[in-house]
Amino acid sequence: MASLLLIAWTFFRIGLIFVGGGYVLIPLLNHIMVEQYRWLTLRQFLDGLALSQLTPGPLAIIATFTGFRAGGFPGAFVATVCIFLPCVMLMLIVGRNYERLKKIDLIGSTLDGLLPAVVGLVAAAAWNLGVASLSGLKEFLILAAGFALFKWTKIAPMFVIFGAGLVGLLLNN
Amino acid sequence: MHNSTHKVRLTDIFLTFVKIGVTGFGGGMAIVALVERICVREKNWISSEEFLHGLAFGQILGPFSLNVCTFTGHHLRGIRGGIIAAVGFMLPSFLLVTLLSWIYFTYDKLPQLQAALKGTNPVVIGLIIVVAIDMGRKQIKGWSGMLMAVAAFCASVFFKLNAAWILLGAALWSLCSAYYRRRFT
Repeated sequence: MASLLLIAWTFFRIGLIFVGGGYVLIPLLNHIMVEQYRWLTLRQFLDGLALSQLTPGPLAIIATFTGFRAGGFPGAFVATVCIFLPCVMLMLIVGRNYERLKKIDLIGSTLDGLLPAVVGLVAAAAWNLGVASLSGLKEFLILAAGFALFKWTKIAPMFVIFGAGLVGLLLNN
Repeated sequence: MHNSTHKVRLTDIFLTFVKIGVTGFGGGMAIVALVERICVREKNWISSEEFLHGLAFGQILGPFSLNVCTFTGHHLRGIRGGIIAAVGFMLPSFLLVTLLSWIYFTYDKLPQLQAALKGTNPVVIGLIIVVAIDMGRKQIKGWSGMLMAVAAFCASVFFKLNAAWILLGAALWSLCSAYYRRRFT
């Protein structure tokens, strides 16, 4: 088993790089976990990625999986805390200064001006997810039902999502 | 808008984000859409504009699903609120992955949950579309806004550009036009 300190330091460093953008994460994790420390085999790494995508958390939750392998439950805990520590701290700093900076006229109007781009990116995420997971009529029907429920009813999203999970299990098993 | 004399309780923040952390299968924008429904629409904890500002920062700074939770929590109750929202959101995923890892490393088998995701993914796409439409109605005004939204969409979908670069580009454009308006009108 790897020492908790090593796990902590490794994942904290990954967390720092991760702040620059999530896209470098997969090759980087592969390099560190499979090639450098040999905490995982390549197959385990790929299975871990698949497993991380099953959960609501960000993909970096693979840190939990690797930490578990490297140091049991304490390892999983330390790895998870350390990989997310840098971005949480940074976001708190952003939040702290945001309230102040927003009051400066030029910055406030710049922030408001870029909102359409944010909306465009939200729509793009729907598109990208759709290309990856809508493969037949069945999926499109579920999509239409979901859209209608979210748009015109006040049912809690939680029920709709869990209900859809159940439908998925029934239809695909 | 939330009233600063009636502070939102930390337990409320915690429980709300645990709920989001339990529900948000699909990750990423699915979480953003859920936080928007629950914290902006339902509870009025944060304005739509502020939430989108937080999302912009969050996308530039890495894992934006976690970042919007931290940002919203911080908006409500400062540093403590931010940390509690982040912990609440991550807790269910952490427990789930720990459990699944234990099963995987003990029995060398991946739990077959993919079938459930085949049902949740389309519904989550529906949710994201609804949120995008509502946001767009509110935030996109006039031709220049429309153009920027379409440009960001295309840059992401067809040119596969990183969201952080798209937003930095939009910020630069927006800064220049704000400066221009100030200077010359």
